Amino acid sequence: MSSWQDRAEQGLSRLVEASAVERVLISLAALVMSIIVGGFVILISGWVATCSDPFLAQQVLISIPGTGGWGVQFPIPGSFCYNPIQVYKYLFVGSFANPQTSTLFPPDFILDKFSLAVTLRQTSMLLFAGLAAAVAFRAGMFNIGTQGQLVLGALGSALSVLWVAPYVPGGLVGSLILIPLGLVVGALVGGAYGAIPGAMKAYADANEVITTIMLNFVATGIAFVLVSEYFKNPASQTVETRPVPGAAVLSPIVFPSQASFSILVLVGALALAVGIYLLLHRTAFGYDLRTSGIQPEAAEYGGVDAKRTMVSSMALSGAIAGIGGTVYVLMILGRWQQGVPSYGFDGITVTILAGNNPLGVPLAALLFGMLKSGSLAIDFALGVPKQLVGVLRGLIILFVAMPEFFRMIGKRVTTPEPSGAVAADGGSRIEGGEDDE
Amino acid sequence: MNKRLRIAGASVAIAAVLAVLGLVFPNSALGKIVGTINASYVSAALRFTVPIGFAALGGIFAEKSGVTNIGLEGHLIISAFTGVAVADALAGSGSATQTTLWLGFFAAVLASTLFALLFAVVCIEFKADQIIAGLAVWLIALGLAPFASKILWGGINSPSVGTLSNWRIPLLAKIPVIGPILFDANPTVYMLLLAVPLTWFVLNETAFGRWVKASGENPMALDTVGVDVHRVRYASVLISGTLAGIGGAGLSLGQAGLFNGSGATMVDGRGWIGITAYLFGNYNPLGAFGASFLFASLDALQLRLQQVGFSVPRELIGVIPYVTVIIVLVFVGHTRTPDAAGEPYESGEE
Repeated sequence: MSSWQDRAEQGLSRLVEASAVERVLISLAALVMSIIVGGFVILISGWVATCSDPFLAQQVLISIPGTGGWGVQFPIPGSFCYNPIQVYKYLFVGSFANPQTSTLFPPDFILDKFSLAVTLRQTSMLLFAGLAAAVAFRAGMFNIGTQGQLVLGALGSALSVLWVAPYVPGGLVGSLILIPLGLVVGALVGGAYGAIPGAMKAYADANEVITTIMLNFVATGIAFVLVSEYFKNPASQTVETRPVPGAAVLSPIVFPSQASFSILVLVGALALAVGIYLLLHRTAFGYDLRTSGIQPEAAEYGGVDAKRTMVSSMALSGAIAGIGGTVYVLMILGRWQQGVPSYGFDGITVTILAGNNPLGVPLAALLFGMLKSGSLAIDFALGVPKQLVGVLRGLIILFVAMPEFFRMIGKRVTTPEPSGAVAADGGSRIEGGEDDE
Repeated sequence: MNKRLRIAGASVAIAAVLAVLGLVFPNSALGKIVGTINASYVSAALRFTVPIGFAALGGIFAEKSGVTNIGLEGHLIISAFTGVAVADALAGSGSATQTTLWLGFFAAVLASTLFALLFAVVCIEFKADQIIAGLAVWLIALGLAPFASKILWGGINSPSVGTLSNWRIPLLAKIPVIGPILFDANPTVYMLLLAVPLTWFVLNETAFGRWVKASGENPMALDTVGVDVHRVRYASVLISGTLAGIGGAGLSLGQAGLFNGSGATMVDGRGWIGITAYLFGNYNPLGAFGASFLFASLDALQLRLQQVGFSVPRELIGVIPYVTVIIVLVFVGHTRTPDAAGEPYESGEE
């Protein structure tokens, strides 16, 4: 029956179109919900905390409009130390300006170069981590192991740069040798470590969620033992390598030197995002990768070597994470040190929020970059622990995980249209129905 | 399954040979290591098993019912924190008594169960991706516990509140070797030793256990015979939260006497090891307990070796459980997860 077929096709194309918009809406709704729930967390924690100058105490005045300040006094239990609206203002404004003197809008808006550099530094790191996770997720591989790949990539590049540094001259020539060397080694080590769970999934059917989580712990342990036993900086108390030479440092341009942020790295990360998008959508490899992610059986039936795709997508994912590790060592820290921040897990959050779309990753990375940098402002100026951002990170993932929640709300709010009213207008049908972002 | 048993048998045999060699040559390095293994070592290992073992039992319940709960680490963190926070708050300015510690313990288990309820609603009602929701549960706990610690205590670590004291069973405790191990132990150790056979019994010998299995293997069949799949899954996930809660409270109130929120918090991956333990034990509570005990004894051994003067880096021993699991997953083959695990179930009537 052709009408049956038509209807199915219409439904499918509507689904595809809807899913692009829907993904964006769900991410935004998840953000809003997290901000609301986070607000309650702030209120409650402010109620528990003690402070000399609460923003709400004993009673609250609700004024009646038009009476010039007359109102009703409501008693409230206890006192509240933190004002959620102010916390959010500091969280966001503090990431690029001084929140005490600035409002969001001109004329008192003054850009603070240092805060902005911190924000963009975090953004670049999250871009690498987010892209790394995105590549694997698109291939249907749940790579929770980007953290381990990043840690080992970071160590590999630090050690290789330290090893080669004595044989190369300083200055620009040195930079031109050492930085690419660090990046290549970081990518190779991260890629190799990512390929391991890929191969285990492909050839032994070992669940990659479990193996990659395990390999994170293994990576941290191995890196710690290697550095503490063999490559430790003898002049230091902590477990860390010697600092890399100045020529290997990705030096700050435009921004103050103590901000440890190079705009070139951000540009490179953005270029990588576009590159990954093109790779996924314009190459045969990308097509194989996406189809294996969406429909593994169909992909194999269509001639895609599923096993090879599993290994190569995980290797690519690990390589990007490894490059992130290199950037961490060469731009931020200047050496490898134990306790690498959990960029890998943040990267997973970033890509989930971005719907695994490489072009959405920069936006999500910027958002989390702002949160991370703004968390310093709330801690410093308002005394709200910066760990709040960790709570928000979890809440965002939780809400993104349940699109059905928002669909149900959506159904309650809007009255369902009669099915006949949705006519297919043919022209807006997207080619290549497997696009799911 | 046979392969798994053979590997377990072979490792026991190797351990026995090593032990005999150690006894024969007491002055060799091996002899010194074997010399450290005694009753107090075993009881330490049992104490270390508590958080891992309870997490594993909880994980079995949830996954058997078709809801993969990879947020166990988060449950351990939440309950470890809540236990100390409540005990500390109830103690006021004085030091916590056994009563306040027990109240903290129950509050901790309740908090973890409520946290599991949240996870259950998200997964069952709103059909969330279980892996992503589980990650969220872990990440929320990982952020929330240090955040709340800072607000309560001004730092990410709590002050010391003391631990639940051992229960010494008169007479039985005097039996040589096993007396001090089994009959002079922390209450949380007794709870684990009871929970393991109880879990096995509930899963294998009761109607509820059969429902749990059916809900994970063939929810439609369960629905057809008139049992509410959602209710079975809710119950299982809540049980997993309760069990993990006992594990977390056992860690903070049974062992450490405080909450430490730095790094990966004091839980430090024990929830993940719990997951690996039940995979290793192939969803059998007894096997999961065995695996948990194995991982915990490695941890205890490493502490012993440092006391004797062998400096084996803690991190190196620490990776052994993880490497073991990877090897098991690769060589013993795929652990067969329940067919419907990870999939939301929608009954036809909705």
